[in-house]
Amino acid sequence: MSGMNSSASINPIITLSDVRLTLNSDAGPVNILRGIDLTIMPGEKVSVVGPSGAGKTSLLMIVAGLEQPTSGVVRVADVTLDGLGEDALALFRRDHVGIVFQDFHLIPTMTAMENVAVPLELAGQQDAIELAESRLEAVGLDHRLTHYPGQLSGGEQQRVALARAFAMNPTLLLADEPTGNLDSDTGERVIELMFQLSAEIGTTLLLITHEGAIAKRCDRTIRIDDGLIASNGINGGLNAC
Amino acid sequence: MAWRIARRELRGGVRGFRVFLLCLITGVAAIAAIGSLSSSFTEGMRADARKILGGDVDIRLSHRPATDDQLAWMQANGTVSATANMRSFARTDSAHALAEVKEVDELYPLFGELRLAPDIGLATAFAKQDGRWGAAVEGALLIKLGLEVGDSFRLGETTVRIAATIENEPDRAAGAFTIGHRVLVGFEALQASGLVQPGSLVRYHYRIGIADSSAVVVWQEAINAEFPKAGWRTRDTRNAAPGIRRAIDRITIFMTVVGLTALLVGGVGVGNAVRAFLRSRMATIATLKCLGASGSLIFTTYLLQLLVLAGIGITAGAVIGGFAPMVAGPIVGDSLPVDIRIGIYPEPLLLSVLFGFLVTLVFSILPLARARAVPAANLFRELVAPLRGAAAWRDIAVFIVLALLLGGIVVVTADDQRLAAYFVVGAVATLAVFRIAAAGITFLARHAPRVRSTHLRFALGNLHRPGSPTGIVATSLGLGLTVLIAVSLIEGNISRQVDQGLPKDAPGTFFIDIQPDQAEAFDRIVTSIPGVRNLRRVPMLRGRIIEIAGTPVGEIEAPPEYAWVLRGDRGLTWARNPPERGSTVVEGKWWPVDYKGPPLLSFDAGAARALGVSVGDAIKLNVLGREFEAKVANLRRIEWNSFAINFVIILAPGVLDGAPQAHIATARADDPAIEVALERAIADQFSNISAIRVREVLGRLQELIAHLATAVNVVGMVVIFAGVLVLAGAIAASHKQRVYDAVVLKVFGATRRDVLAVFCIEFALLGLAISMIATVIGTAASWAIVTKLMRAEWTFLPMSAVSTIALCLFATVFIGALGTWSAMSQKAAPLLRNK
Repeated sequence: MSGMNSSASINPIITLSDVRLTLNSDAGPVNILRGIDLTIMPGEKVSVVGPSGAGKTSLLMIVAGLEQPTSGVVRVADVTLDGLGEDALALFRRDHVGIVFQDFHLIPTMTAMENVAVPLELAGQQDAIELAESRLEAVGLDHRLTHYPGQLSGGEQQRVALARAFAMNPTLLLADEPTGNLDSDTGERVIELMFQLSAEIGTTLLLITHEGAIAKRCDRTIRIDDGLIASNGINGGLNAC
Repeated sequence: MAWRIARRELRGGVRGFRVFLLCLITGVAAIAAIGSLSSSFTEGMRADARKILGGDVDIRLSHRPATDDQLAWMQANGTVSATANMRSFARTDSAHALAEVKEVDELYPLFGELRLAPDIGLATAFAKQDGRWGAAVEGALLIKLGLEVGDSFRLGETTVRIAATIENEPDRAAGAFTIGHRVLVGFEALQASGLVQPGSLVRYHYRIGIADSSAVVVWQEAINAEFPKAGWRTRDTRNAAPGIRRAIDRITIFMTVVGLTALLVGGVGVGNAVRAFLRSRMATIATLKCLGASGSLIFTTYLLQLLVLAGIGITAGAVIGGFAPMVAGPIVGDSLPVDIRIGIYPEPLLLSVLFGFLVTLVFSILPLARARAVPAANLFRELVAPLRGAAAWRDIAVFIVLALLLGGIVVVTADDQRLAAYFVVGAVATLAVFRIAAAGITFLARHAPRVRSTHLRFALGNLHRPGSPTGIVATSLGLGLTVLIAVSLIEGNISRQVDQGLPKDAPGTFFIDIQPDQAEAFDRIVTSIPGVRNLRRVPMLRGRIIEIAGTPVGEIEAPPEYAWVLRGDRGLTWARNPPERGSTVVEGKWWPVDYKGPPLLSFDAGAARALGVSVGDAIKLNVLGREFEAKVANLRRIEWNSFAINFVIILAPGVLDGAPQAHIATARADDPAIEVALERAIADQFSNISAIRVREVLGRLQELIAHLATAVNVVGMVVIFAGVLVLAGAIAASHKQRVYDAVVLKVFGATRRDVLAVFCIEFALLGLAISMIATVIGTAASWAIVTKLMRAEWTFLPMSAVSTIALCLFATVFIGALGTWSAMSQKAAPLLRNK
């Protein structure tokens, strides 16, 4: 991959203002997020930690436009997400956001190459397949182009997911426990790739993780507890570059 | 162990089996309902056979009554009630109507009840009052003539008084298709009318009640041995109303084909549901195998579950179908000439249950066998290698045996085994064709050149991806569309016959019972009326074929479409010249105008081909009790649809010239008013001549055909319902995958329009390919049913087929779009959250 996104802009890449999320359940309303204020600058590598059920994934879903907050303002990559329709949110994600999930979420009936090509094809890229091939080469899977997800190991599937997430050179990469279903060695390799690719493109990284070592590699760690930001501190650790 | 596991799994309920159950219920209910209805008709005819026939035995003579000897024999061997039937006109000063006149004796009816209103009894009804004999008439005649009970009308040369209306005529169903309105009279009234003349078309019936009603066969053998050349037709209670019996059989055959089609389509749905069910149980099956369960245990466990569920569906279907006579009886009761016997008929219900289980087994055995054969590890990669374990040879053999058993039972239990065999072969071939088509579509999609359009690329990809429902949808859509096109073309052809009307120069009126000495005067009157044209007049008698080329007709296996030629007596004529219109000599030569040699005849070429008659063959006939042989001099191609006077047999001069005969004639008037004036003129001059308006006859037929078209549509809906179910099931089976795909695509930037467009293109491509194949097969099926079963002309109706395809494709894409819309509305977050 070539080029780096310029981080000359002084506008935050992510701004959340008093964001709340309440979901209904049989037992009554459940307050997932209880007033989140957060600012992330372009190029930052930010980890999100916290106990299970704290609201980490919900926060990430809101930033991705996959979940609508109950109240509050969400602004990502100079786009205010409030009030945007489903289609507009889809286009927003296509143009600005890459996502990596713990469960990979590859389309099982598409080959590795086809999975990576999806966002490129949706954006109308005529050389989508060729670009997908090069993305897979970058993650070391040029020998698995025509394999289906069911024929790949967990680590390989996650690398395919990574290649897909970076296919459009996104402004922002969101990762929800990307190593949660991998062994430590494989997870380490995936994280290395993630940081490497982010540095190459200049992508801002928002990463949920349970692993302290991974969190420390980021510029900043946000701790979420019971729907609120409990701490928001700068790490002393090195970033991928 | 298998039953224990099966029971635990069944505790989860039947929620995932709605389509499975509905498919089975529909198919089984269709078979059960059709069988039960047919049985109720048959039972009604059997139970009322004596009433319908009018006796234990019915002897029919045309043109002449029984001789004294013949009558004496009958009376010595049973109780005899005699009737005479003929057509005539009932006339007033201002109106006239065709009447089916029936003279009955004091013993009528031997069985059943004749009900008159007022309830005065026949003797009182027929009694002479104020110089007029009494008659009982059908209520519709009063309306037609504008009369009431107590009024009078002219019948031939006499005036009869309307003493009562007929509320119930017990033996009405035994008669042929009637056009006129019933008039019951006594012997004296018929004599006074002067209608019975030598050669008049009078049918004499002798209904005999015999002491031992089970000995009807012996009785008939005895009378035929006593009078071998009587030339009569005998019938007994085993076949009291053959015309109705044939109609019921034909309808039953058609509806059975429809029912079997519903079951077949349902079977495809069952197969789809079983595959979907096993896919949903993948994790459980894999776990069981990992824990040590054998393949046989897995097979048995899931077979038991399927059989239990099938039992529920089949039982429900049989119960629903079993109630069909109770539901249909009150609805159709009055429109049928036979009372149906409402009840539960075990035989068709058991047959439907057997079919239901066989269909379940046939469509389940291979998916079960494959699931048994797949290694546990592969089951965790189910979508990429979906159930790709190979079924063992043993399982394939079992499948073949079950399929043959199912097909065999369908054929053996059918009334028309040849048709059933064609259906079975056709059904298997159709399924195979669509499977091959699906494989072809997948191949073409996989090897299609790269296209610019993203939506088209995704759609083509969806057609060939692993786990793609292309095969299932192609088969389900193809079968459903085939049936829809077939039903649409059948209904279209029937409606075309209704709307077609008469050929341009078809006769407007038939005149019957013209005596030879009235012929010249008749011709003069007809030709003197301006606007009347195309007068044709020929002599006519009735006779029957006894032997063809030395073989008695009882030993000839006639194809169904020509069996009528050998059955009963036929109209015959003789002529010096070949017919001017309506038929053409195609083989052999016509005799000279002044021919005087041995008896010759001309025969219908179509019937000749079917019955194996050639020029030069000898045909033995019985006319008015006299047997003689005539050689086939030529064959004619007859245009029956021209409505011209046509006869299967035309004799050369010399045989029948001197026999008692009447003439029939046709004429045409384009102006209906002139038509009425012509009939009036003839009726005023010749009280014995009856006129039958072709338009009226056609109108009656059109009514019946219109009912048939409606019935075809209604019955076809059953199959279409099954087809829609199966298609919906096929789409539903892939719904979960579709939802997942749609969500992931949305995450990476696909709009709802993108997802919907991909789906619409995918189904449009698949639908277009399948609809072309379905059109060919459906057209062939409609041709077979219309020409072979309904014995009618068939035309391809392109607009019918095109509009059906367009509607079906629209409905398919619409239904699928609804499913996709719901997929697109699915919130991403719940699906994407880590487990």
